Amino acid sequence: MASNNTVEKKNTGKRKSLFTNHEISMLGIRSNLVQASFSYERMHAPGWTWAQLPYWEKIYKGDKDGLKRVMTDNMEFINSSPPLYPILMGLLLTMEEDHVDPTTIKGLKNALFGPMAGIGDAIFWFTIMPIVGGISASIAKNGNVFGPILFFLVYLFLFWSRIPLAHLGYNLGTRAIDVIEDNSKVISHVASILGLTVIGGLIASYVTMKLTITIGAGGNSAISLQKDLFDKIFPNILPFAFVFFLYWLLKKNINPLWLIVITFVLAIGMSFIGWM
Amino acid sequence: MSITMGQGILIAIWAMIAGLDCWLQAFFIFRPIIVCTITGLILGDLQLGVIAGGLTELAFAGLTPAGGTQPPNTVLCGIMTVVIAKANGTAPATAIGLSLPFAMLMQYILLLFYSSFSLFMSKFDKYAAEGNAKAFKRLNFVPLTIVTLSFGIVAFLSAYAAQGPMHTLVTSMPQWLTHGFEIAGGILPAVGFAMLLKVMLKPQYFPYLLLGFVMSSMIPFSNVLPVALVGAVFAMIEYFRTSETNELRTEIKGLKDSSNSGGGYNDGI
Repeated sequence: MASNNTVEKKNTGKRKSLFTNHEISMLGIRSNLVQASFSYERMHAPGWTWAQLPYWEKIYKGDKDGLKRVMTDNMEFINSSPPLYPILMGLLLTMEEDHVDPTTIKGLKNALFGPMAGIGDAIFWFTIMPIVGGISASIAKNGNVFGPILFFLVYLFLFWSRIPLAHLGYNLGTRAIDVIEDNSKVISHVASILGLTVIGGLIASYVTMKLTITIGAGGNSAISLQKDLFDKIFPNILPFAFVFFLYWLLKKNINPLWLIVITFVLAIGMSFIGWM
Repeated sequence: MSITMGQGILIAIWAMIAGLDCWLQAFFIFRPIIVCTITGLILGDLQLGVIAGGLTELAFAGLTPAGGTQPPNTVLCGIMTVVIAKANGTAPATAIGLSLPFAMLMQYILLLFYSSFSLFMSKFDKYAAEGNAKAFKRLNFVPLTIVTLSFGIVAFLSAYAAQGPMHTLVTSMPQWLTHGFEIAGGILPAVGFAMLLKVMLKPQYFPYLLLGFVMSSMIPFSNVLPVALVGAVFAMIEYFRTSETNELRTEIKGLKDSSNSGGGYNDGI
């Protein structure tokens, strides 16, 4: 399909940008809109289109067909990691601005959003969230208001980090593809290591299961199962075992909601018979 | 104490702000640690809000929307944990369990939106085909408004209108049941961690999980920061080793290509 744009292709060595620095920064901020009209059918598509619309309006000023084309192209299904969208938006914007063949842009978009979702989830949900949430919650648990403040500041920083990411995508242009492809594997690998170490620590620190039951006739000969046995041989064995029991259920494709139900039934049952 | 009309309205407004953020995931003020703190502030008990925030955040640590499932809603859970704890004098750990039905209600409302908002797509497509940027932008505000308002309404009804029945329920609960809820609050983080493991755990990463677990079990410290630092050390080691391996691999590949020997190169990971 030939694009019927009237603008001449820019073949000059140095790119002359159509957008100011401020506008690219705003692209980073606007990338927060991607989930505005989230639905299972197209996921982020309408919000993704909305976020970039002012930029396309500028590129396709006086070219209604170009605007129609770019809007329709971008209404296709897209689902990636929201915090990484600024890179993708910046990268595709340079291509749109240079009037690269629409099929190429579309193909690149579809090729990149999947892997980027993988890296983004590994970094933001599975590494940063447990670490920041775990640390600030352990501070807050004792009534220290610094806990929520720390959490807020970290995520405020991540919010602003969308701006440099948008500039990165826009300035690197198609070179960003190499950066993403070269690093995606190693980043999710390294993030997994960090994340899992922390999750191991969190399981030991924050899943509380302690048996109160004692064995024996009572009096001095009574043995506390928790204090005299578990804590001496393998502390936190119960939380560890229970997490893996739930993990095993999940692997059997049991709905997570059932895990919550099982947890409550177990806890209330244990409380009723007085074991915990 | 009971929740006054004014507090109910303030909670509803806060729920709308946090709910909008929950939908867009911009500032992450929809996480329990923030939601509880602000709700505590509204009810005049910041201390309770912060403590409940820490406990609820841990309970929801692994319950993330990543990985394909929509977890119980953190905004409603955070608000109701503090409201129930404050209004009935229950321990925050017990209140988490009691707030879960409200969180699940909101979860199902959001799931309903995820499905029904597909109805807007044909309108979006139409505006896109017409190149009607103005109408396209305007249409995006419809789902946003629906989501924001429903957060406000659900939070107001849960916190203010339902407080009478809630109080009767909480006060009539036998001691073993309240204690059971408290125990459940302590075990609940396990669900989230199991969900994280389902997505992340591969055999080669198991040693790191064990490392973090053993460290935390054997060495007493107040938070997970030391574990995170040790994890970061291993991550760095692995990073440099992987880049070295990659360089070596390209070198070998180059040698192979130059000696013109056929066959693919298989790495042994």
